[in-house]
Amino acid sequence: MTSDLQKINDRYSMFSALAPHIPDDAEFLFSAKDNLTSAGIETRCGSKILEGYRPAFDAAAIEKMKKSGGGLVGKTNMDEFGFGTFSVNSAYGIPKNPFDRERSCGGSSGGSACAAAVLEDHVSLGVSTGGSVCCPAAFCGVYGLTPTYGRVSRYGLIDYGNSLDKIGLLSADAGRLKKHLPTISGRDPRDPTSCVQPEPALSGKRIGSVAVPKEALDGASADVRRAFNESLERIRGMGADVETVDMPALRYAMPAYYIIATCEASTNLARYVGMRYGRQDGDLALKFDDYFTSFRTKYFGDEAKRRILLGTYTRMAGFRDRYYAKALSVRRHVIGSYREILKNYDAVATPTMPFVSPKFADIALMGPVESYAADRLTIPPNLAGTPHLSVPCGYDGDGMPIGLQLVADHWNEDVLISFASDWEGMFDSRRAEADI
Amino acid sequence: MDREIVARVAKAAHIALTDEELDRYSKDLADILDYFRILDEAPGEEGVGVNPVDVSDVLRDDEPRMDIDPYSLLEGMSTYDGYVRGPRLS
Repeated sequence: MTSDLQKINDRYSMFSALAPHIPDDAEFLFSAKDNLTSAGIETRCGSKILEGYRPAFDAAAIEKMKKSGGGLVGKTNMDEFGFGTFSVNSAYGIPKNPFDRERSCGGSSGGSACAAAVLEDHVSLGVSTGGSVCCPAAFCGVYGLTPTYGRVSRYGLIDYGNSLDKIGLLSADAGRLKKHLPTISGRDPRDPTSCVQPEPALSGKRIGSVAVPKEALDGASADVRRAFNESLERIRGMGADVETVDMPALRYAMPAYYIIATCEASTNLARYVGMRYGRQDGDLALKFDDYFTSFRTKYFGDEAKRRILLGTYTRMAGFRDRYYAKALSVRRHVIGSYREILKNYDAVATPTMPFVSPKFADIALMGPVESYAADRLTIPPNLAGTPHLSVPCGYDGDGMPIGLQLVADHWNEDVLISFASDWEGMFDSRRAEADI
Repeated sequence: MDREIVARVAKAAHIALTDEELDRYSKDLADILDYFRILDEAPGEEGVGVNPVDVSDVLRDDEPRMDIDPYSLLEGMSTYDGYVRGPRLS
């Protein structure tokens, strides 16, 4: 088993570490993104600074999956600390898209989406801060679910943005989202934000009406437009009403998100100074300021540094009100905007990503703003903490998958799970050919 | 976004930048902040909720307990005689 996984990993680089042992009596196999702590298995978040870190405990979500019979096969590759849209910002190789290895798996849970697409009967725990479950799910042609903020305990999740991080599920099989959402959900006193949730209930409630923001297709590629419009026809065929709405708040979500996310990240990453976790091989004769600086300079990657600088800047005295306080207020506006629309509709539909997975050569040419803007449809529900789902909904001329994203109201994963099950019954999704 | 501000921010964040990096990050941050200007026209709502859903304080009973054996945490750290090694303070 482990040697087969090693071969698959040599081809796709979806794992940053394989479990040394998989229990023989496991009822199902799963993998987990490498920002979830795993007892005894190296956990590095795609970062050199955490090299050698072996946590003493399992994250709550991993613990619960194991308790329900799951065997952890490995930790999945990711952008450093979740900082990226294409999983190219990992210090441990770049996961390759199973449909075309010259292209990205999406990010930042790229390794999880790749494992879900390639391995049979597999489910992977991903983490979404600004779209890191649905983006890779769309690029790899699998189902991805990000539950409501606070639905799944973040105990053992290595923080990127505390007010944004959410643990979710990726699988080629929609039934596994339905099966495992209740497994990982629930109140956990070790994470107080999980303690306000209503009981998770999957009653099979179906989507009766869908709102489509007229801004949804701005800048989308022709293939994505075609697949999205065909999907709306299918949704009508399922008996749901589909109507266009105005949602001007969408355009403000992206900058508000990047300000909040980088502010939180820059404080969270202050703890990585060459003591306590990961690498600790610096020159102890240095004064502490110089010791910390030497470590962070040497072992943080380019995008981590960019986000730390951005977050530190926007929190600085004199700028805080203009950026951070404004972003918090805009988040409330975006939440209000979803709430207003979801009073009259069961879900908001958009494409997941505005284009299919790009080639690595094209990603290398993108500047930060262009790269951040790729997340413009996945960011709004992440900023608002609303649950959202990506389902495969079409393929472009090269056979690359396209995703459809549905957003429901806080705590209302129920309709998304029902939708995924119904969709799976009527949409013929393709599996990537993993010839090993 | 001038180089002096970026240099000050980098120092506060404990990151050393070369001249080339200082130029590059200054330009990147200027581009990003330029894009963020659309926030100036964005409507906001009163209050500064820091969480997307309402959260409440959860307090556990005031009873001593140990979730993780502290000695197991020391295993991954650079230690000397039961103490964690660190750099000089002065």
